[in-house]
Amino acid sequence: MVSHRDNIGPAIVFLLLMCGGGVASWFLAAPALSEMARPDYDVTRMVFTYSTLPRLATALIAGGALALSGALLQQVLRNPLADPTTLGVSAGANLALVVTSLFLPDLLGAGRDLVALIGSATAAAIVVSLGARRGFSPYSLVLSGLVLSLWCGGLAAILTYLNQRYLSSLFIWGAGSLAQQSWVIPLSLLWKLAVIAIGCTFVMRPLSLLDLGESSSTALGVRLLRLRFVVVALAVALAAFVTSAVGVIGFIGLVAPTIARLSGARRPAQLILWSPLIGAGLLFFADSILQLVAGGLGDFLPTGAVTAIFGSPLLLALLPRLKICHRLQSPAFRRPRRWDGTAPVIIAAVGLFVLLMVSAFLGRDVNGDWAFTSGEFSVDVLAIRIPKILAALTSGAMLAVAGSILQRLTGNEMASPEVLGISAGATFGVAIALFAVAPGFSGQFAFAVAGAISVLFVIFVSSRRSAFAPERVLLAGIALSAMVDAVVGVLSSTGDPRAVLLMRWMSGSTYLIDGSTAAMEVALGAVLIAVSLATRRWLDILPLGPSPSAAVGIPLAKSRFALFGLAGLLTAAATLTVGPLSFIGLMGPHLAREAGLARALPQMVGAALIGGGLMVAADFVGRTIVSPYQIPAGLVSALVGAPFLMLMMRKRSAS
Amino acid sequence: MEVSRRSFLHFAAASVIPTPLFAQSIGPRIVSLDYGLASTLLSLGLPPVGISDLADWDRWVVEPPMPKSVVDIGSSFEVNFEILVTLKPDIILTTPYLDELLPKLQSVAKVVRLEIFTPGIGPILTAAIAATRKLAVELGRENEAEQFLARADVFFAQCRSRLEGKNLPPVALVNFMDARHARIYSSPGLFHNVLERIGVRNAWTRESNYWGFETIGIEDLSKVTDPDARLIAFDPIPPDVLPKLAQSPLWNRLSFARPGHLSILPPALMFGMVNEAMRFAGLLTDLLEKEA
Repeated sequence: MVSHRDNIGPAIVFLLLMCGGGVASWFLAAPALSEMARPDYDVTRMVFTYSTLPRLATALIAGGALALSGALLQQVLRNPLADPTTLGVSAGANLALVVTSLFLPDLLGAGRDLVALIGSATAAAIVVSLGARRGFSPYSLVLSGLVLSLWCGGLAAILTYLNQRYLSSLFIWGAGSLAQQSWVIPLSLLWKLAVIAIGCTFVMRPLSLLDLGESSSTALGVRLLRLRFVVVALAVALAAFVTSAVGVIGFIGLVAPTIARLSGARRPAQLILWSPLIGAGLLFFADSILQLVAGGLGDFLPTGAVTAIFGSPLLLALLPRLKICHRLQSPAFRRPRRWDGTAPVIIAAVGLFVLLMVSAFLGRDVNGDWAFTSGEFSVDVLAIRIPKILAALTSGAMLAVAGSILQRLTGNEMASPEVLGISAGATFGVAIALFAVAPGFSGQFAFAVAGAISVLFVIFVSSRRSAFAPERVLLAGIALSAMVDAVVGVLSSTGDPRAVLLMRWMSGSTYLIDGSTAAMEVALGAVLIAVSLATRRWLDILPLGPSPSAAVGIPLAKSRFALFGLAGLLTAAATLTVGPLSFIGLMGPHLAREAGLARALPQMVGAALIGGGLMVAADFVGRTIVSPYQIPAGLVSALVGAPFLMLMMRKRSAS
Repeated sequence: MEVSRRSFLHFAAASVIPTPLFAQSIGPRIVSLDYGLASTLLSLGLPPVGISDLADWDRWVVEPPMPKSVVDIGSSFEVNFEILVTLKPDIILTTPYLDELLPKLQSVAKVVRLEIFTPGIGPILTAAIAATRKLAVELGRENEAEQFLARADVFFAQCRSRLEGKNLPPVALVNFMDARHARIYSSPGLFHNVLERIGVRNAWTRESNYWGFETIGIEDLSKVTDPDARLIAFDPIPPDVLPKLAQSPLWNRLSFARPGHLSILPPALMFGMVNEAMRFAGLLTDLLEKEA
């Protein structure tokens, strides 16, 4: 039985959005409508018929399709965080299209849809198969989705970066623009949406039964595996079609079902009915407002990036009210092997030394040949290289230590500065510093710290009620990261040359580091890491839970606060040189734990060595692989780090 | 008159493949971080030893061709300093766009910073001519610069007279980004200034940013109301653009969609200097002359 009361809330939200969008569209269309009365002026009518109206229709249809896709995914994976953005579906499509436009441009003319579909399907297959091993828990899914998104995004960024002028259109596409010149896109989306919506009616009943739990639904005759496959395929197809037609439009698929849930829709059937309607209203409203604003500015703004800019804070605001009725699987910390950690630490240190030597003395010369640095220029060249290497080393070590602290504090082995959005916050600070005030290193550091700390603060506030449920923290981090990305997307597509600078910050280039910056970085890193190592007792005891910690006299609130602050400082300092998405903060502590370093002190030392080494290696590869052009170290390490992490998640879930 | 061994070598080297020797043997060793400045150097008779983004030169600038001896020093945003110091430049040419690199560049060699594309500088062609003179003063090549600028003036005048008296349509200049968006060029940009010089009207009258372009949706092209207006699109055009446009009723209703109202020009650099302006003027004049 569906009670009518549950439907009132979503209906009101839907009507409000539609009215808001309708009023805004009326303002947009009014001049054209009044001019249309003039019989001699045909072009206005044409623009109205073939640009304004199709755009509104596209907004409605794309919003509905994305929201339906999100609702389906959330329902079948029983995971309130699933949506095309978080599962990497959009990023997969984006990467596929970037690769095709670079290497097989003729394919695009033939089948953009197909290319996007292949990319999305591949991404979704990887993420869902990883999630399947862990019962589609929010963690594993969102994390592997996030990791895959970052990987695809990183690769797309490198390709774009190396072909800047040629790929400027991909910026627009990646930021999702709804501009239309005909009815082709809305109509083709409409029939695809219709077919999939009809498909949905067939799976409604088994989908509703899923809420009873796996065993009960299986007993009632639901074929779980087939159902999951079919529904995920439907959702991915929807997202891929929208992405290939209008680009990446972030967050509608996550926000719309969330709003539906918050406004009262509870049952699966209600969610799947109301989510697309609310999603349609949401994108319609957003795009109409945007056109009014942009028209006033006379500037080009892509809708997708703008929805993400507004969608993420909205999500953050909703976060504390989000009812999570899904059972969380607490991550199983493996029983630590009893190891003193001397051997792995020594091995790591020796390896790091060799790496540093190679990285300092091997390079490419003017003709692009490999050469050891020697002769008349060696002093100059080393003076250029050594600061970069030191900065990479320090940042990697700092990120890894920050990751160790966060993982121990949250009790979540997937926590890291990158995943929690702390890096994104720091980058946001740096971006503001660059654009608004452009101070030197210390000023940028101050802004980065402010950014990182504000993100931590937001995470704190939004998760205080839920006693630091990692899930919410994760969601907040994702929302923030997406917001930073969106801002960069908006800047890039307006063709603002400064966007390239910001992109470089985002991608983590050690490029602008000179001797003095590196010296500051090293000093800062040494102090912060030393302080972190001094907190080893807290870090050993706090993960055991509040009561044991209080029993041995640790001031709970203070110690947590101090440790989070420390992680924020470490992240901010590192982000200044290697950008927000290097994954070192995730890989370092993990690898250290894999090597058997379980206690806080050896784990942090090992993580610092490993993290520093990885970053130096990434920097070296980035500097030499396509010389004289240089790829940012942060991107390189993300490209290595993401698949590595996914392999580890597989291994872990298999064991 | 006896031919000295040196000038003979020069001649020989210039007639076959220029070797690094050729590039080193005259004048100061210059590195340019900007396409426009690099092509201006060629016109001043001082080929650079290295430039940034050399890999894309043939795709965006095309002419004048860069000598084979020139070394690629990576992207202009991330100049590969390891290669830069190995080139031992005497002078590095840069623009305000790359100001964040200034301190680092200054530690390598003397930096000459020329302002062409900066907010509020006004018409770009005027700025480019002023920058050419300033550069010539820095390099002691005033005579060559005046000759070059005089050549440019003559060339623009020739283009103008070739088009004089023809019934010229106003033109809109675009780069198609994808099937739904374009960049359109207008005042104060370089191409707009060229249009003024050779007596062609720009159909897009709205001012743009100081780079001289704005990003628009294709439907905005309907704001060009002159029925005779010609749309000129630069290569490279993404492969799916023209087929997609052909399906659009809106596009088909625009005057640009009528046969003969859309022309495609080979690539020309819109963010260049005098050489790039001349290249564009030449390409456009040939096209309009042919179609008039």
